[in-house]
Amino acid sequence: MSDPVLSLTNVSKRYGDFTAVNAINLSIPRGSVYGFLGPNGAGKTTTIRMILDIIRPDEGEIQVLGASSAMHVRERIGYLPEEKGLYKKMKVWAIIAYFATLKGMHRREAKTRAYELLEKYGLKDFANSSVESLSKGMGQKVQVLSSIAHNPELVILDEPFSGLDPVNQEVLEQLIRDLKENGQTVIFSTHIMQHAERLCERLLLITQGRKVFDGTVDEARAIIPRRVILECTNDISTLAQIEGVLSVQELPIGNDGRLHGTRQWELYVKEQTDPQQILQYCFQNRINLSRFDFTQASLHDVFMHLVGPEAREHNFR
Amino acid sequence: MRVTLLIASREYLENVKTKGFWIGVLLVPIVFFIIFHVSSRLATATPTRYYLLIDQSGQYAESVDIAIRREHQRRVMQDFMRYLQENRTDLSGTALSREPATQLDQLIDDFGNDEVATLDEWLSNGGLDFALQMSRAYLRPDAPAFTEPRPQFIAAPLPAELDVSAPAQTIVDTLRPYLNGERRLQVNGEAVSLFALILIPGQVDADIVRPATLQRVIVDGGGPRGVQYWASNLTDTRLPNAIQTSINNAIRQQEYTSRGIDITQVRDVQRTRLPLSRLDPGKAAGSEEVSLADTFRQWAPMGFVYLIFISLMQSVQYLLSNTIEEKSNRIIEVLLASVTPGELMMGKLLGIGATGITTILAWIVSFFAFLQLYQTVETVMMVQVLDVLLSSDLIPRFVFYYLCCYALYAGIFLAIGSLCNTLKEAQSLMMPLMMVLVIPILTMSFIAQDPNGTLARVMSWIPLFTPFTMMNRAAAQPPMFDVVGTTLLLVFTTIAVLWLSGRVFRQGILRTGQPPRIIELWRMMRRRSSRS
Repeated sequence: MSDPVLSLTNVSKRYGDFTAVNAINLSIPRGSVYGFLGPNGAGKTTTIRMILDIIRPDEGEIQVLGASSAMHVRERIGYLPEEKGLYKKMKVWAIIAYFATLKGMHRREAKTRAYELLEKYGLKDFANSSVESLSKGMGQKVQVLSSIAHNPELVILDEPFSGLDPVNQEVLEQLIRDLKENGQTVIFSTHIMQHAERLCERLLLITQGRKVFDGTVDEARAIIPRRVILECTNDISTLAQIEGVLSVQELPIGNDGRLHGTRQWELYVKEQTDPQQILQYCFQNRINLSRFDFTQASLHDVFMHLVGPEAREHNFR
Repeated sequence: MRVTLLIASREYLENVKTKGFWIGVLLVPIVFFIIFHVSSRLATATPTRYYLLIDQSGQYAESVDIAIRREHQRRVMQDFMRYLQENRTDLSGTALSREPATQLDQLIDDFGNDEVATLDEWLSNGGLDFALQMSRAYLRPDAPAFTEPRPQFIAAPLPAELDVSAPAQTIVDTLRPYLNGERRLQVNGEAVSLFALILIPGQVDADIVRPATLQRVIVDGGGPRGVQYWASNLTDTRLPNAIQTSINNAIRQQEYTSRGIDITQVRDVQRTRLPLSRLDPGKAAGSEEVSLADTFRQWAPMGFVYLIFISLMQSVQYLLSNTIEEKSNRIIEVLLASVTPGELMMGKLLGIGATGITTILAWIVSFFAFLQLYQTVETVMMVQVLDVLLSSDLIPRFVFYYLCCYALYAGIFLAIGSLCNTLKEAQSLMMPLMMVLVIPILTMSFIAQDPNGTLARVMSWIPLFTPFTMMNRAAAQPPMFDVVGTTLLLVFTTIAVLWLSGRVFRQGILRTGQPPRIIELWRMMRRRSSRS
């Protein structure tokens, strides 16, 4: 693996008594799409601001594109903050070009690039409108474009999907894929798991300032045991004897579309367990199955599993 | 540096491209032009005023009449002088720099001391008709005809119901509704309002005050004495003044006669004078005489102080509103990922400084355009004043003090802007500074009168006032110690303020919530910022 684009070593940030980020270690390989996941107030934005050297960590070290401060390599980084804002009176093309020139692009080149991007992502007709005439979603798209106009090696997007309609979310997903294809590294934070699931190769999951997971999406899924749903008329608690089955539990009757008079069971099995084993056991013991559901854990489940209780507690405290 | 200039040019263009900016900038010369135009025409626009004169003593009616005719002739003479100056063939006339200040003083002196005699001379020479005839040779061929101003005070006919021989109180009671505007007089079939009643009681001579009778006046007290002037307009004092002067003249004439003194001799004595030459020890030998130009140069710094003040007020608005826009819109975070707070602050300082300079240049250009397009006596004089200014060292001093003043205050205001999320929050923080800024304007005329006095010297050494006060004193050759010392102190303070503001700015710019308290502010200044 080549040098990491970004590495954090033991990074912490405190505001008075409150620890926003607690000893985070992280290494992001070049060319990857990396998701920062976590509940509200987990420390995602603080981490991102520290990466960009907008605020300084109290402890630890950050290396960005081989430099000790993002400021030294600012021309090679693109950033979309969580709270979006643009100069209201400026023209759409001009604001994209302005941010690109701040990042070292030549004026004329920046203008051409702005028009090019606006055309590519469906905003060509608005190039000469002033920013204040745009809708919120369009404004956000413009801001995303202004953060990538200078072709940065590392793109950091803080909550890029919030406030966008499904169509534009799709456009943005495509944009991130385009960046990846182009060899650019993308870090984005979100609390919508589907986006992370579709786009990310690797994830960082933080809650209350601590890292709870860092790895590939598959690794994340492996964290929680696989779940099997069985529906039959028998008592199948004996399934727990099979090797690899972690737990068997009958689910209470709910609005789950089960056949009348059947019972529903939830089994958790180890990652490598072959589902055929369970089927075989049922067959041998004459258990008549009316449903056999073997699903892969979703990121949502992983998320809830890892941060759910804490996040809930945190939010309602 | 590149980034700083980019920010500066964006700030500058954003301000300069708006219509509001140009409306604001051009409003100043437009208002100036209107005031200039209106004030020079306003005198002739005063409405004609009607008065009643009742002289029960039968001695002074003629004097009052003459006084009012004189008052009119005075205006005719003034208007004619102006007309003559505007239409003379040799318009360029004498240069201000050579015309001694005393000559102007003398003219004013003449008029104030011996207005009556000057007017008499004018009248005895044949007044306007003669003057017109005499001046014809000197007028430009295309000069318009001189229009005599309307008389401002006209005697109204007495109302029928008035008994002139009645006691003073009865007359006043009869006329009170007219004086209060409840009833109107009929003049040539037109209803007009009565402006004033001049009532001279029969025993008015008993009220004459002589040095020896002073005691009696004090003992007597009570009730109106002497000539009674009744008018509800308390501000227009031309009529009562003219009447008082003329009646006093009449009485003094009687006194001279009764004491056997020749009046013409007294006049001659009164008009005897010894001229006073004002000399400036600072000027080269042979040309020490204080010229009109010197007088202008002495007062010109006040104009520059105003210019600094107005331009600063405008810049402050831009500095605050732009910083707060970036903060409240959260643009600041994107910016801070691309530029350091120091670069951002310097960019803003330069961009808005350029906006201020553009404003001043626009004013100067429109002023010159005005001088070109609108040539009157006053503007010709202004061109000469301008020549005087351009040849003095006031301009470089203005540029220096303007730049220092801007940098000093802009630093403070940017720091304030960085701490606030709304203009409303900023206003409460700005309040004390605004009060400080008013002080140099309030003390401006005192300092101009006594440019090297204690007040001026003390204020010069307070850096927040230095640019204003030293500009104000610029024409008076302040001691070298003051000039060098305050300049060093000012430059040092400006650098220190910018440096401290930079610290506050860096920490304040990402702050949300309430502006900090003084203690927190102090900590912000002392703490090394998280970024450089």
